[in-house]
Amino acid sequence: MKRGGPADLEARVLSADLCTGCGACLGHCPYLKTLGERVAFVHPCSLTEGRCFAVCPRTSLDPDELDRRVLGTPRLDVFLGSYRRLLWSRSLDADIHGRAQYGGTTTALTAFALESGTVSAAVLTGGGPTSFPQPVVARDRDAVLAAAGTKYSACPTLVPVAGLLRESDEAFAVVGRPCQVAALRNVQANPKNAHRFAAVIGVFCFWALAPSFYRFVAAHGVLTRATKIDIPKEGGVVFSNGRTTTVPLDEIRPHIRPACQTCLDPTAEWADVSVGSTEHDSAWNTLVVRTARGQALVDAAVAAGALETRPYPPDRIPILRAAVAGKKRRVMAAVDEGDPATRYLSVSDDTRAAIMAGGRDVQ
Amino acid sequence: MAGDPVDRLNVVIAGVGGQGNVVASDILATALSRAGFRVSVGETFGASQRGGSVMSHVRTARDATPGPLVPKGLVDVVLGFEPLETLRVLTDYGQSRTRVLVNPRPIYPLAVQIGEGTYPDPGALLESLRALAADVLVVEGTELARRAGEVKAQNLAMLGALAGSGWLPIAAETFDAVLADRFGDDLLRVNRAAFRLGIEEASRISRVPASRAG
Amino acid sequence: MSLQALRIPTPGQVVVLSGNEAIARGAMEAGLGYAAAYPGSPSSEILASLAAVSRERGFYAEWSTNEKVAMEGAAAASYAGVRSITIMKADGLNVAMDFMTSLAYAGTRAGMVIVVSDDPGAHSSTKEEDTRYLVRAAHLPVLEAATVDEAKTMVPWAFELSEAIGLPVVLRNVTRIAHARGSVTLGPLTPPTREARFDPNARYLTLSLFHPVLHARIEEARARFETAPFNRYTGPADAARLVVACGPGWTYATEAVELLGAKGEVGVLKLGTTWPLPERLVASHLTHAREVLFLEEVEPFLETEVKSLWAQQTERGPVRFLGKASAHVAGPSGPSIGELTPEIAIKAIAALTGRELEVHGNGFAERAAKLALPDLPPRALAFCAGCPHRASYWAIKSALELDGRKGVVVGDIGCYTLGVMQTGYFTVKTVHAMGSAVGLASGFGKLGLLGFDQPVVAVVGDSTFYHAAIPALVNARYNDSPLLLVVLDNCTTAMTGHQPHPGTGRSAAGDPAPPLPIEAVARGLGLDVDIQDPLRTAEAVESVYRLLQTDGTKVLILRSPCALLPSTKRTHRAVVDPARCVGESCGCNRFCNRVFSCPALVWDGERGCARVDDVLCAGCGVCVDLCPRGAIRLEETAAIAG
Repeated sequence: MKRGGPADLEARVLSADLCTGCGACLGHCPYLKTLGERVAFVHPCSLTEGRCFAVCPRTSLDPDELDRRVLGTPRLDVFLGSYRRLLWSRSLDADIHGRAQYGGTTTALTAFALESGTVSAAVLTGGGPTSFPQPVVARDRDAVLAAAGTKYSACPTLVPVAGLLRESDEAFAVVGRPCQVAALRNVQANPKNAHRFAAVIGVFCFWALAPSFYRFVAAHGVLTRATKIDIPKEGGVVFSNGRTTTVPLDEIRPHIRPACQTCLDPTAEWADVSVGSTEHDSAWNTLVVRTARGQALVDAAVAAGALETRPYPPDRIPILRAAVAGKKRRVMAAVDEGDPATRYLSVSDDTRAAIMAGGRDVQ
Repeated sequence: MAGDPVDRLNVVIAGVGGQGNVVASDILATALSRAGFRVSVGETFGASQRGGSVMSHVRTARDATPGPLVPKGLVDVVLGFEPLETLRVLTDYGQSRTRVLVNPRPIYPLAVQIGEGTYPDPGALLESLRALAADVLVVEGTELARRAGEVKAQNLAMLGALAGSGWLPIAAETFDAVLADRFGDDLLRVNRAAFRLGIEEASRISRVPASRAG
Repeated sequence: MSLQALRIPTPGQVVVLSGNEAIARGAMEAGLGYAAAYPGSPSSEILASLAAVSRERGFYAEWSTNEKVAMEGAAAASYAGVRSITIMKADGLNVAMDFMTSLAYAGTRAGMVIVVSDDPGAHSSTKEEDTRYLVRAAHLPVLEAATVDEAKTMVPWAFELSEAIGLPVVLRNVTRIAHARGSVTLGPLTPPTREARFDPNARYLTLSLFHPVLHARIEEARARFETAPFNRYTGPADAARLVVACGPGWTYATEAVELLGAKGEVGVLKLGTTWPLPERLVASHLTHAREVLFLEEVEPFLETEVKSLWAQQTERGPVRFLGKASAHVAGPSGPSIGELTPEIAIKAIAALTGRELEVHGNGFAERAAKLALPDLPPRALAFCAGCPHRASYWAIKSALELDGRKGVVVGDIGCYTLGVMQTGYFTVKTVHAMGSAVGLASGFGKLGLLGFDQPVVAVVGDSTFYHAAIPALVNARYNDSPLLLVVLDNCTTAMTGHQPHPGTGRSAAGDPAPPLPIEAVARGLGLDVDIQDPLRTAEAVESVYRLLQTDGTKVLILRSPCALLPSTKRTHRAVVDPARCVGESCGCNRFCNRVFSCPALVWDGERGCARVDDVLCAGCGVCVDLCPRGAIRLEETAAIAG
């Protein structure tokens, strides 16, 4: 476990505007609270060490250490991380298709994990897309479906995790952004918690939006009525509710959360499975199966007819890698420039060289 | 002592805001007044309700009306509702012949709660009182009040103990009519019960014959 | 309150009254017809006592919205031939000052007494104002009682004086009289007039034309003061050492002279009429005195007046004046700081006479110094157990930290002024006068043009809202100042002892009154209003936070009754589950008692966990929500009498 205290967390993360809003530090104490996707100490805590520091994905992050600890293997792919299978997938459930994003893989896997008894609860992000989403603890399929659909801001989804760990001994699933997956693996560094996360489903995330995004939405009345937001490959940000309104991406970019600019992990490299769009066929998702646990969940879901998979089209793999490479290289450039916002990263020289030089296919 | 001719008596009731100092001092002063004494009570309330130290100075004289405050070093009796406050008042206002009646149940000051001060060891507090005062009676006023049916009636239990201590120039019966005039039925029942338990307790621990004290 | 004693019709009986009750009784003996006040310690119990008996005695008593309105009402009664009294604390006189200076010019008809209570030592005040300077500025006579009994006697005399000179008379009261209690000899009660009428030919105008009239009236007062029964000299006829004392300073002086055995040497001149000075009386004692010591509350007012008088004497001997100006009369914080005490009087008179008084005696002080105890921890003021203000400040502070823009909280006058201290988490950054929070916030809110980007929260109490916040709120609305006004509505005027106000639906006498809810007033100004229960912490935090994110002038009412109101029955109490409270290993760092600092939450050092003091706990349940372990729960208490 990382050692440090609330004052370090405040100095290095919160007041430096590097908080990803994951929520992992919350729910342990009466001092750290969140509202409107901002995390703050409401009163100074004078302890010198705390869980808040230990679990934060931004007090420090060492990709090699996480690879070893979580995946047990050296990195297979410098951009996509280690994985067992790279697939396209989609839900076979019509209900899910109506609500979820793209192929509905995340929703299908979560619902399946609950219904098959693999987990008894799932920590999800609920609420509509045009006002602050809220963490949800789902205990049945209906609750999972109600939380379906991508939210584009930094919901502190992990707020309920501390309570679940403390108050029960059940196994549960978490669907989270890459920063949240990294935080969960920090939580798991405490041996007491090691066995509690039965399914960690990461969703691809190249950036999340800051709270100012909702002020932007509120200032444009028509957008507040959207029930779904998408950033399709055709461009723009599409707000839809029967009819659609497209906002140019450049109008949204100023609302990207600052912490996201220095994130090295858009594909949730330490999840059991990672799910994203295909950037090609909106009926399917990209599904990256990373751990044995993830593999077992996907296999069982397929066997039960909850999920359909197909091999990742080989010609699409370079495109996916290129997108990730672009993000990683921008961040590494910032590291090279000595950007203080990247100091949390401990990237080995080998990894750094591989990111900057490796993967000729994505040049 | 009861009924002894006393020309002047200075009593300070020491407690914490919310413990019922004002009610106790008013009852004591009224009882003394009805027994023919001129009385004067000095106290401050208002903000003091909010957790601060509270003192009531009850002074009596046969001849003239005394001023509202007991000069330091001239107190005859300290009626303490809280041990720390009792010691604070005793060291400030006491003299070698001062007698003390104290409820030993602590109420912790904010400084102690927030870790910026230490509450003295309760045993050491009582020892300090004994080291300074001519006589110390420890009365579990809060427990007596609990037995009477309302823990907050510790002020009446302690006042009862003072009435039963033999340290006052008036008989404990003098208080009966004062209590009856002051409280409505429900409160009278509880407060009178607490007062009587206080008298009994004082008689028991001071071994003053109950017939003489009350 | 000794209401029964107030009602006793039989003259001659001796009862114990507080100074405030004595003043109320004195007014009733003088045939009072109209009483109006705004609460303020240490003055509040006068009107409260009067109101409680007003119906049966057939006079009128009201809690007014503020002191100026109260004084105006009392003046109206005087104009209609009805004896009237208005009561306020020193701060209230500042509010009423504009009217009082006008009233001095216009004059009065039936007797009118203005009671102003100063609070030397600021026991329950924010400042130690000496009212006498303001009253002198207005040119009204000042009386000061030395004992509770005298306070009662002085009131009818003040009514007579008022009628004789056509001016209101000010009774300067101080805490050691107001909140003292003492033996009082009752006089006969006089019913009020039933012939209130404004003479159609009369006019009461504030015009500079009447300035010379005012001066003449003051000279008339001075003439009557020469023989007033409240001025009295005791001691050797030709004493070279003279103490001039007023108010409680006189009892301290006489007791000190006696304790020091100096009765044969020191003369004491007691003055009950302190402005205008009875010059002939005072000058007659300056002829034999060579050293003059002054004992009076707060500022060297009398001291300056007497020195000025001495300077005017054509034949004067060498006199040494000892007092606050010369620092001979001083408490631990210096002259004019803090209240007068018997110790200050003893020390000053001991120095004057070269005598010594052994306090404590028999080595008591030496034994006390040798006690094997650490320094006794002080008792700072704190919000009571179950006080909704503690929860409100936690909500405001939390919301501001979560908002993150370094919002500013401007405070006001009431129990919630404690927001500047520990149990309000040092949240409040400015405190001035009644209603000033809103005026300040309105000003801060308009600084955006000059680069100001911090949100501003004004905090006022419910009674304060009516008293002086409304004009400032109108100003904010009119000038579109972005601010959040949080009204901490505990459904009473708590600080001063639970007086009703326009929102409570009750009059001073306890009759039903049309309730004028704060939300109705604010909505009437066209403002958005939210109402939350501060004891529901999460909702309160969210509301404050949400309102901080919106533009314009906003009002949030955090409403929960004062835990000390008799009607706030304790139905629950909190209990710590020792199995769930993991103490030091929790990671909360003893939050509930160390930070939230409710007096009922104590640290059980032996068991290493929190504990609830069941005598103190009010059962508000806020700690139940705030404990991160869910280790505190509420359980029902059996119904308890009282």
